[in-house]
Amino acid sequence: MNARASGLALSWLLAIPLPLTGQSIEEGARLAFQDDVHASAGLTCSSCHAGPSSRGFALPRIEVAPRCGKCHGDAAYMRQFDPQVRIDQYAQYLTSGHGKRMSTGDSRVATCSDCHGAHGVRRVRDPRSPVAPVNVAPTCARCHADAVRMAPFGREPKPFADWSASVHAEALLKRRDASAPTCNTCHGSHGATPPGVNQVANVCAQCHVREAELFRASPKKAIFEQIGQAECLACHGNHRIEHPTDAWVGLKDPAVCATCHDERGNGATTITDVEHSLGNLNRAIASAQSVLERAERAGMLVDDGWTAQRDGREHLIHSRVMVHAFAAKPFDDMARPGLAVAQQAERVGHDALHELQIRRRGLGIATVLVLGFLVTLWFKIRSVHAERPPR
Amino acid sequence: MTTGQLRSWLEERVPVGDLTEALRHKTVPLHRHSAWYYFGGMTLFLFGIQVGTGALLLLYYRPSAAEAYESVRFIMTRVPFGWLVRSIHAWSANLMVATAFGHLFSVLFLHAYRRPREITWVSGLVLLMLTMAFGFTGYLLPWNQLSFFATRIGTDMAASLPLVGEFSVRLMRGGKEVTGATLTRLFGVHVAILPAAVTALIALHLFLVQRHGMSVPPSVEDESRRSGRPVASMPFWPHFVLHDLFGWTVALTLLAALSAYYPFELGLKADPFAPAPAGIRPEWYFLWIFQTLKYMPPSLFGLNGELVVIGVIGAAALVLLVFPFVLSERVRTFRIVSGMAVLALVYMTLMTIVGFVVSRPTP
Repeated sequence: MNARASGLALSWLLAIPLPLTGQSIEEGARLAFQDDVHASAGLTCSSCHAGPSSRGFALPRIEVAPRCGKCHGDAAYMRQFDPQVRIDQYAQYLTSGHGKRMSTGDSRVATCSDCHGAHGVRRVRDPRSPVAPVNVAPTCARCHADAVRMAPFGREPKPFADWSASVHAEALLKRRDASAPTCNTCHGSHGATPPGVNQVANVCAQCHVREAELFRASPKKAIFEQIGQAECLACHGNHRIEHPTDAWVGLKDPAVCATCHDERGNGATTITDVEHSLGNLNRAIASAQSVLERAERAGMLVDDGWTAQRDGREHLIHSRVMVHAFAAKPFDDMARPGLAVAQQAERVGHDALHELQIRRRGLGIATVLVLGFLVTLWFKIRSVHAERPPR
Repeated sequence: MTTGQLRSWLEERVPVGDLTEALRHKTVPLHRHSAWYYFGGMTLFLFGIQVGTGALLLLYYRPSAAEAYESVRFIMTRVPFGWLVRSIHAWSANLMVATAFGHLFSVLFLHAYRRPREITWVSGLVLLMLTMAFGFTGYLLPWNQLSFFATRIGTDMAASLPLVGEFSVRLMRGGKEVTGATLTRLFGVHVAILPAAVTALIALHLFLVQRHGMSVPPSVEDESRRSGRPVASMPFWPHFVLHDLFGWTVALTLLAALSAYYPFELGLKADPFAPAPAGIRPEWYFLWIFQTLKYMPPSLFGLNGELVVIGVIGAAALVLLVFPFVLSERVRTFRIVSGMAVLALVYMTLMTIVGFVVSRPTP
């Protein structure tokens, strides 16, 4: 890569427009460095660059990580800038897929400056940083979504597209939930490496604690270990994690259970029971919702019904989690009370609608009586006018 | 004891014979504008409904920020016929304001404020203001979100008054902000001070109406003078009272129907820390003032815009109070009064409609 090309790559990486006026690479780097976390800490060019060599000032890619690690691995040195700062990045990098290859002299893999930038490095919590949570996936995608670049390593370029269609990307990019997982949440940052079959559940369990607990206590755990099946992945996939639906439980398409189970096999009864219970609970909640909305539209107060309905929904959410126990009893213990409160909510709605009917019927009867009274009154008025006409 | 003996026994102890005799001889003018005479009686009837339903609500209502909303919800959902009583109270309040305004404009258009009825007019005008004060103080009592923020806006208006602005706001709110203290304060005004004042004024108003009789519009008087025939009349008892009873029965049925088909909603409980919902607005009878304030620029002729509006409305109220005392009884003067009344009515109606269309509250 010649110097001009390196400069262009650098400017693209740092999102700095390189002037077409023939600005030198050194000038571009100097400008970018003005807004660099290192510059604000008092470091200068010579802190990283020893001096011009046969390659100019540029560091050979293979030397970048050790050079960064020299300071970032030194607890005493780093403490003066931030007492809480981590110092294990370089050690982790050496355990990563990137680091291992780089150690063998293969400089095609990522090093520190590929993700963080070279000049104009910003803190991770700075939203402009290429490794800020919302920018991590696009940063990884620069290499991992490039089929040509991935081909020599035998890697698919699909993960970024798959992740972009996942619930995690939706949470992070659309809802701006910075706690939602992106590439480094599951793969690690500096020690980035694909989790092994046995490690996937541990990765997911970082957030999905209850589901993981239930799974580990379930009969599935031993079976999956025996057949070498990655736990969560079997039903949820890896990068393209979609919104699970209740239709996933069952023995017919599109149920994920049907991938391994059929009507004759082990667990068919449990699956059918759970499927029916989930269906009943969903129907009860939908029915209660419709009745409560009708009652409320009619002007009735159904607060008790809404309280029960919320309770029913909570039970539904917990029941969906209880699916991970892969057993009928714990699921039923959660779903049955949910069904009861949903039915109670519906009863409140029906009672309110019934009350409304009684009110309207009462009003109808009262109106008939009042009309009778008004007619009588009208005749009385006519008779008094006839007896004593206006003078 | 026969009925006659019972009557004379009662008359000896409660001597009201001359009063009932006067009522028996009282007459009501009968002409093409007579229908307007019923607005006063209708307003009085609705006030009676308010007193009755208000007394029933008092049995369960709790005037504190912690319990007001819950107690109204309890009335609406648990107390037998509580929903009916509360809805009738709320609907009747709105209807009462409407009939009171109808009564005011009918008096203006029929020129019934003329000598010697100036004090009757003043007492009626003050009664209308007190009726609106009833609405304002009662609106906050359910302690829901809409009423909370509408009261905050309503009391804020007073802040622009020169010299007494800050004091007025503190007086109404019982502090700097709308809090539980405001609720307790407005409750006290709503159930004790205003009813006492209104009852006294109604007594004066009715006494004066009784003494002066119903006013006949100048145009009808002229026709009678020209034709040489006296204005026709009908007996107050039982003719006029039966007509009144007819109207009241219809009003009561209308209130029951509104309560059954459109129960007065309670909304969400007030949360002083929540942001004000979009499109917040006061009750419809204050909407024309609210809308005028919204369209007023911050500064007008170097003065605070809000202050200008409040000043103009205050001046108009003052003119309304005193004009019967200074007006000459000429046809041209009557035309000017009618013209001004039409202008005011059109302006208030237009602004109210605009207020309804422009600022819809967010549920």
